[in-house]
Amino acid sequence: MLGQNERQFNRLMLAGLIAGFLLLIVAFVLVVMGLRNSAQSAALVQHTYEVKDSLADLKIALERSESARRGYLLVPSKYRETVFRSSSQEILPTLNRIEGLVVDNPQQAARVQGMRPLVLQELAELHRSMDLALGGDLAAARAGFADTDSLAALRTIRAQASAISSVEEKLLGLRTGALEGTQQQLQWLLILTGVMLAAVAGFTFWLVRGFTRALIASREQLHVLNTDLEGAVRERTADLQRANDEIQRFAYIVSHDLRSPLVNVMGFTAEMERADKIVTDFVGRVEAHQPELVSDEVRLAAHEDLPEAIGFIRSSTQKMDRLINAILSLSRQGRRVLTPELLQMDRIVSEIADSLAVQAEERGATITVEKPLPEIFHDRLAIEQIISNLMENATKYLAIGRPGEIVVRGSVSGSRARFEIEDNGRGVAPDDHERIFELFRRSGQQDQKGEGIGLANVRALAYRLGGTVTVRSDLGSGSTFLVDLPVEFSGEGKE
Amino acid sequence: MNAQTPVRIVMIEDDEGHARLIEKNIRRAGISNEIHHFTDGGSGLEFLFDHDAGPKLNGPALVLLDLNLPDMSGTDILAKIKGDEKLHRVPVVILTTTDDKVEIERCYDLGCNVYITKPVNYESFADAIRQLGLFLSVMQVPDADA
Repeated sequence: MLGQNERQFNRLMLAGLIAGFLLLIVAFVLVVMGLRNSAQSAALVQHTYEVKDSLADLKIALERSESARRGYLLVPSKYRETVFRSSSQEILPTLNRIEGLVVDNPQQAARVQGMRPLVLQELAELHRSMDLALGGDLAAARAGFADTDSLAALRTIRAQASAISSVEEKLLGLRTGALEGTQQQLQWLLILTGVMLAAVAGFTFWLVRGFTRALIASREQLHVLNTDLEGAVRERTADLQRANDEIQRFAYIVSHDLRSPLVNVMGFTAEMERADKIVTDFVGRVEAHQPELVSDEVRLAAHEDLPEAIGFIRSSTQKMDRLINAILSLSRQGRRVLTPELLQMDRIVSEIADSLAVQAEERGATITVEKPLPEIFHDRLAIEQIISNLMENATKYLAIGRPGEIVVRGSVSGSRARFEIEDNGRGVAPDDHERIFELFRRSGQQDQKGEGIGLANVRALAYRLGGTVTVRSDLGSGSTFLVDLPVEFSGEGKE
Repeated sequence: MNAQTPVRIVMIEDDEGHARLIEKNIRRAGISNEIHHFTDGGSGLEFLFDHDAGPKLNGPALVLLDLNLPDMSGTDILAKIKGDEKLHRVPVVILTTTDDKVEIERCYDLGCNVYITKPVNYESFADAIRQLGLFLSVMQVPDADA
């Protein structure tokens, strides 16, 4: 459910991001286009003004040359001569510049071309009369000035220039109009992109917010579940503790109350045996003196049936007694108050190994303790019972024809201590791995004495200490018993 | 034992079988004192405190007491006997299946004189009772009137 939501969220998020980036790219392109557009229109404007400026320059140069010439013709002076020269010099280059500027527009170029002869003609006329005047022939020059209609020529040139200028302006209007149109379109597109970007941003924001909310909600839920779980665990532990106490009490009472009738069974069996002995003696005596009185039936009953029955009753009650004692001692251990202390496992395990040494040697087994073993804080008796039971088992259940090698090792990881009791004995079939820890259950070949109590006790003790005991084994290839305990006994929550 | 007035043995034991086995073994040990058997605490107490032949009113006695009784706990009876100014000298032998350390300590605290756990093994049981018989034959029981 959440996984699917998450996947959907991821997909939408990705889509939003991609859309956002695409829109940004579009906006960037639009902006670049807009910039280019305005640069273009600025260039056009500049071009037009350049044309107009140049036309004005041309006109001014012509006018100034003309007025300088006239002035010179009236009153010759060095200054007027200089002004004429500098002004007349500018005329041709300015005309050429205008031609260069309008070369891209054939109509305008034609107009400029049309203007050129007039300008050249005027320029030639100007130079002619100035040359005359400078040569000293002022009269001829004045006469020439009167003959030529220099003003008319100038007027024509002025009109031509104005026409070119106005056409240029009109052209500018048209061109900038077109550019403005695209500029506006670009702006609209930009606005649209902006709006879409805002929409995408809003959508992703909404998405993230929704997702974050869902996350927070689920986290809170988890928290509630967690705290609930803790409570539930506490409750369960208390329940288990109660149940365990109940079982302990039950086991204690039952084993006690079972003992009473057992005392009777055994007591009266013994009485019966006594009586049987007397009767059997009597039968024997009668048989010796008057054999005809003793039938086969009587003989059988006295010599076989009775002793046999009594023997079975005896062995069965003895077994029952052992079982009851086992339950009793288990329940007693369960009720024992645990007193944790710092345990040097090196020493404790070595002591256990020493105490088992003779037994082990008889059975043909060696015990190796791999030191150092971790130190733990636990109830000494309980730990000793667990370890010694496992070690004794290891020396007991050897593989036939293979000298036993028992290795004890330990390690600490985090707050857990782990002890391994490894043997190369007969092993335990995987099906029996749980069974061997059950009360009164055993597995494999039944050639060793035992009631099936030891491992049940070991496991019960380990549970009490907050640990576990498990076995890793295959039939025939030895077994390893793993004792996993908290490094520090944390109490049972009661007692 | 007291030569003048024979010591009565008061046995409070709910299990008839146990009572029978105890009696048999006491007799086998050569003790022939009168044995009064009660199968519940109420009638046992009544005999101890109110009966004409009971130790409170008449003669020395020895109490064999089981702890697991149907109507009350044997320790209650023990407490009553040891709390009574006249009966508190009466020797009480606790003979029970309970071998709980706490229980044993409690009985001695209350003033029990001997605590014997009934062994399931009959030989040991018979042995214990016979030894108790021997013990009874040599022990001096104070007269309640004294």
